[in-house]
Amino acid sequence: MAKRSVWSDNRFWQRSAAWVTGFAAVLLIWLTFDTSAQISMGTDADLKNGVTKRVPGPTVINYKITYEMDTKRGHEIPVIGEKELFFGRDDYSEEEAGALLHLGKLGSQVKNCMDCHTLLGNGAYYAPDLTKAWLDPAWGPEGSLQAMTGKETKEEAMAEFLQHPSQYPTHERMMPNLGITAEEAKGLVSFLKHMSSIDTNGFPRNFGKIQGAVHGK
Amino acid sequence: MASKLNESQQLATWYFTFAAILFGAQLLFGLVAAIQYVMPGFLFEIIDFSIARIIHINALVVWMVFAMFGSVYWLLPDETGIETVGIKLGKLLYWVFVAAIVVVVLVYLLVQVGPADETTIWFITEGREYIEAPRWADIGIVVVALGFVANLFLTGIKGNRSGIVTVLMADMIAFAGLYLAGMFFTDNISVDQYWWWWVIHLWVEATWEVFVGAIAAYGLIKMVGAHRQVVEMWLWIEVAMLFGSGILGMGHHYFWIGTPEYWWEIGALFSALEPLPLVAMFVHVLYDWGKTQGGQDAKGESVSVINNKPAFTWFVFNAFGNFLGAGVWGFFHTLPQVNLYTHGTQFTSAHGHLAFFGAYATILIGMMYIAVQGKNGIKVMKNTTSSILAVSLIVGGVVGMTVALTIAGYVQVLVSRAQMGATWAGYFDGQAGMWFAQGMDWRLIMGVVTFIGFLFLAKDLLSIGKAAHHER
Amino acid sequence: MFEPFVDVVPSFFGWLNQGPLTLTIFLHTVIILPMIWIYRQEKKRIENEG
Repeated sequence: MAKRSVWSDNRFWQRSAAWVTGFAAVLLIWLTFDTSAQISMGTDADLKNGVTKRVPGPTVINYKITYEMDTKRGHEIPVIGEKELFFGRDDYSEEEAGALLHLGKLGSQVKNCMDCHTLLGNGAYYAPDLTKAWLDPAWGPEGSLQAMTGKETKEEAMAEFLQHPSQYPTHERMMPNLGITAEEAKGLVSFLKHMSSIDTNGFPRNFGKIQGAVHGK
Repeated sequence: MASKLNESQQLATWYFTFAAILFGAQLLFGLVAAIQYVMPGFLFEIIDFSIARIIHINALVVWMVFAMFGSVYWLLPDETGIETVGIKLGKLLYWVFVAAIVVVVLVYLLVQVGPADETTIWFITEGREYIEAPRWADIGIVVVALGFVANLFLTGIKGNRSGIVTVLMADMIAFAGLYLAGMFFTDNISVDQYWWWWVIHLWVEATWEVFVGAIAAYGLIKMVGAHRQVVEMWLWIEVAMLFGSGILGMGHHYFWIGTPEYWWEIGALFSALEPLPLVAMFVHVLYDWGKTQGGQDAKGESVSVINNKPAFTWFVFNAFGNFLGAGVWGFFHTLPQVNLYTHGTQFTSAHGHLAFFGAYATILIGMMYIAVQGKNGIKVMKNTTSSILAVSLIVGGVVGMTVALTIAGYVQVLVSRAQMGATWAGYFDGQAGMWFAQGMDWRLIMGVVTFIGFLFLAKDLLSIGKAAHHER
Repeated sequence: MFEPFVDVVPSFFGWLNQGPLTLTIFLHTVIILPMIWIYRQEKKRIENEG
């Protein structure tokens, strides 16, 4: 009788499957520890001392955020600049800012935002991505969305829109009224501002850099 | 002439029945969402897109879980040679599961959203894509899943533990355990998304795929009489390749959510290998079929070796669909250089439609036909006109939707992402593109085709067992 | 071939990530190589059985 090959032996493949699965799982767990340490939220002290965190602390709402090309890394990264007023203040304590972010993150879930929008690119594709929505020129001082609400600042314009979305149609496809209160809207805007400060390795590329490229001719 | 089913297989038919009902609900709410892309005013502030989509994707996940549990309860007595241990508990948990799902869906439809506090998370929605189910339901699902895993383990330990049962035991405990990673709340959206993918990715790109490998192995032995030793060797190879590429392939979801840059390499290369086991499964199904048929032909009798035509048709479409939908359409956008622009566009949705359908819906429908055959005591089950219409319309419809969404995705990638840099204005410029708008029209048309196919499928599953042309 | 390290925070995996494919090839290798050992063991077992 010809000698049986190991390659057609069930036990060999069973042991290989067990090894590969087990070791890949161990590597994933190890990587999870490494990544978790890197994506834990920073503190107010980090912000004051200029320590770069992938996910800054909630008091990042006290600062101006921009999205700049980093030549060393070859893509854009959020840059935290000087102090900036947010709903008229730039001195939110860690507790106050944390409470706002908590309210906003809860708000983003209880209103099912992810089932129309994408956040960090994940969710549904029925409405614009919100990863860097805070930095969208349309909400800025010259922007059409801010002008539409008649508000003086970006954060007030966004909060006004969130509370009465169907009063401000921006497209045939409208955002429905979700019963968002003034306080919840404030929380949601700080959640959006915080999200725009997360280092997403350059996603989305060229955000807000090219205006009217298609119809601008 | 109905044969007497054992209790485990009887429970399996209950699971399959509710799965088929939810499949219908999935398609119905998918149609609502598809209409809203074409006519945005449709049901506005009554059943908004977000609500239609939650039911569309939750019904999808839940009907597949029901059909997976049903498949295991169906094959356990066949494989182990004994009645499933703790079957009374299994039946009780079935009703708990059904009741929980009905309540969850009604709350989605009638309450929809809540105030921004913990009570909404506990009782209305958690608002996390695919696993929106409120926390009370999460806990219920964990209890039901643990009961199911206990049934499987106790039966596997007591009865004859085949290779297929061994793989299912390891796979199902991981499947149930991973759900725990999706139950907590955090203010840190990067941490939130990190663990969310543990549930979503490690389900659909690891544990569910291994489940499909095990079911395909069972189907080949059952339907064409493939050699168990060869089938189980392939199964172990598939497990090694699926978990070897799939577990670290999770990195392709960690490119842009705030996680470190080293995930680019890990995600790109491990997930690039994910199609390989799907090729293996494809070759394995068609090869074993050809081999047993060739052995039959060599005897000089021109008789098909397949004892369940409709089920085997769906299994063959599974081999194709898994490779095309999960493998090819997934590979399209798995490299970070491409994904930077395709992430979060209709491209993802095209891949999602063909992958969920090709990899899972097909084989689970096949299992439903196997159950119909067993329940009616049919020796060789043949196609009816409805079986053929169902498979043609559903497969044609889903492939049509996939092509339409892929084209729409191209427009979105080029206009909204590459040219306009993903802003609010860029997004709507992309949506206004002619190719995008026509893509959405075709998606709706193909969705209707799929739904008509479903009606034939439902009719066929209910009536094919009574047809007179089978060999009894 | 080898590019400067650009990760924000140094870590073991970041350190292995020194240019195109260095990290992923390393991980693939450490997963696959021990299969040689499993192969040898099983070969011996089959020979003993035969």
